[in-house]
Amino acid sequence: MTQAVSAISIKGLTKDFSVTLRGVKLRAVDSLNLEVAEGQVYGLLGPNGSGKSTTIKIILGLLDATVGDVRVFGVPANKVEARRNVGYLPEAPYFYRYLSGRELVRFYARVCGVPAATLKSRVDEVIAWVGLSGAADRRVGTYSKGMLQRIGLAQALVHDPKLIVLDEPTAGVDPVGSAEMCDLILKLKQQGKTVLITSHLLAQIEDVCDRVAILDRGKLIVEGSVQELVGQRDRQALIVDPLPPAEIEALKGWLAQRGHSLNSVEQPRARLDQLFLSKVSRPGRPGDKSAGVGSNEVPISDKPKA
Amino acid sequence: MSVASVPFSFGRLGLIAGNTFLEAVRQKLFLFLVLITLGLVLSVLFLLTFNFGSSELKFIADFGFGALTFFGSALTIATTAQLFFSEIENRTALTLLAKPIWRAEFVFGKFLGVFAVIGVFCALTIGTTIALLMVREGQILAAATDEFEARSLIAYGDLLVVGLLQWLKFGVLTAIVLLIASFSNTNLFTVVTGFFVLVICHLQYLARDQWSNVDNILLSGAVRALSFIFPNFQLFNLADEIGQGSGVSGEVALRVAGYGLVYIAVIGGLAVYSFRNREI
Ligand SMILES: Nc1ncnc2c1ncn2[C@@H]1O[C@H](COP(=O)(O)OP(=O)(O)O)[C@@H](O)[C@H]1O
Ligand SMILES: [Mg+2]
Repeated sequence: MTQAVSAISIKGLTKDFSVTLRGVKLRAVDSLNLEVAEGQVYGLLGPNGSGKSTTIKIILGLLDATVGDVRVFGVPANKVEARRNVGYLPEAPYFYRYLSGRELVRFYARVCGVPAATLKSRVDEVIAWVGLSGAADRRVGTYSKGMLQRIGLAQALVHDPKLIVLDEPTAGVDPVGSAEMCDLILKLKQQGKTVLITSHLLAQIEDVCDRVAILDRGKLIVEGSVQELVGQRDRQALIVDPLPPAEIEALKGWLAQRGHSLNSVEQPRARLDQLFLSKVSRPGRPGDKSAGVGSNEVPISDKPKA
Repeated sequence: MSVASVPFSFGRLGLIAGNTFLEAVRQKLFLFLVLITLGLVLSVLFLLTFNFGSSELKFIADFGFGALTFFGSALTIATTAQLFFSEIENRTALTLLAKPIWRAEFVFGKFLGVFAVIGVFCALTIGTTIALLMVREGQILAAATDEFEARSLIAYGDLLVVGLLQWLKFGVLTAIVLLIASFSNTNLFTVVTGFFVLVICHLQYLARDQWSNVDNILLSGAVRALSFIFPNFQLFNLADEIGQGSGVSGEVALRVAGYGLVYIAVIGGLAVYSFRNREI
């Protein structure tokens, strides 16, 4: 093919749910058009109930579209082969609690047809990548929310898909966990993956997305690159040491001579989450020996020292 | 861009079955099975303290098969519904069905997993029944000097065949419950409907005997249709033939097995069809 195929192409998508026995319909997604190009990190934003998860489930063939055409790498979304190249982390994921983290990832790897020869190394690799090596043999039922999101990411990546769909990967996770999730998403982007991520917390994923779409009641209300949407090209901020009022006046004068104006003088404040991140101990990084406990768990050595 | 098609895979089907079985094992369902069997053994030992004389062996066999039929049916319905809905209610089905798998692999994987669990229950129950029979038979043979000559009193082969057929019957029941679960929203509805259908399957032969020869064409037609749609579970019950005349006929057993397999295939197919349209 000469023409580049979008990773995700949604044309005229409408999804109705019957919500009462009398056949009253609820329109969860309304005439949605979206194109996600390969290699992008694409944010699907919107308040709760705006149709983000529904759109994602249709992309994954878990729901059927009422009207419209949805394709993944050019393959209609309701076909089994469309899911070959897709990894999916559901909203508020919940996994087989009777399996250990490693067994879980291994199970999904085998379901996805990861060849037996590379199975073990691939499973270990993704588990290390999300920083759960030390907790891999614990039952998933004992994992914290942040760890569930990370093991969920591991199972989504295990068959090395080209497109990764993450539904609210930072919801309910503390700032440390969400910052880590954002780091992992940026790494995926560097590897050339396409990532579709949803969130109702806009600021959290602003830093990682190339493009965003904002949904409201199933309708697309804004779409564009993050730079276009929030960048203020006609403004610049200079951060300087504290200046006495006289010097600020002098600076104003200097700027005025050159035809510029000083628009505002503010005290820059650290964002609260950045303050939090700098104060709170970060859990083990991938490959770290201490990795193995969830965000803030204190490991207790189970073998008493003789 | 072209993406290679995904062929139906028995490997994935087996994986899903294995995981379903593992869930039953690790979620203590198995412990429950073992306890029930243990309870059965103990109760038969208790009953045996009353002396039943010569019909004692028949009593043990009847007791074993009665327990198998009763507890087996209840367990099959509950286990199938539980193992299916744990996947839906915990939303693990979302993750699994978002992988490149066919819904048919999911449904038949669940079927095989549950069938294996029930198989273990059948093996435990029949195994203990046979063990009890062997012990008692040994004692009776030792007590009676020349009356029985040292010949075997029990047709153990027939016992196994009948046990296998019961297991197959539970397979049909598993398929039925999966079909109900495939469109039902709740575990409870599935279990209740499952029991209802179980009763119909056990009693439909009565309706056929009573009404299929009446003059009213509509009524007899309806009864005939009913007995065609619902499998006749009475056919699987060959326990009464053990030790009677020439014992359980191999040909009859094979025909009943074929009957069961056809129902499993057809009902399983319907379950897949219904589940394919389910919104997860
Ligand atoms: N299975 C369903 N049946 C009926 N209504 C549903 C179903 N799933 C979602 N909805 C409704 O569709 C709308 C969109 O839901 P959803 O896509 O989950 O929103 P979001 O993920 O953006 O929070 C909501 O109003 C929700 O109540
Ligand atoms: Mg959602």
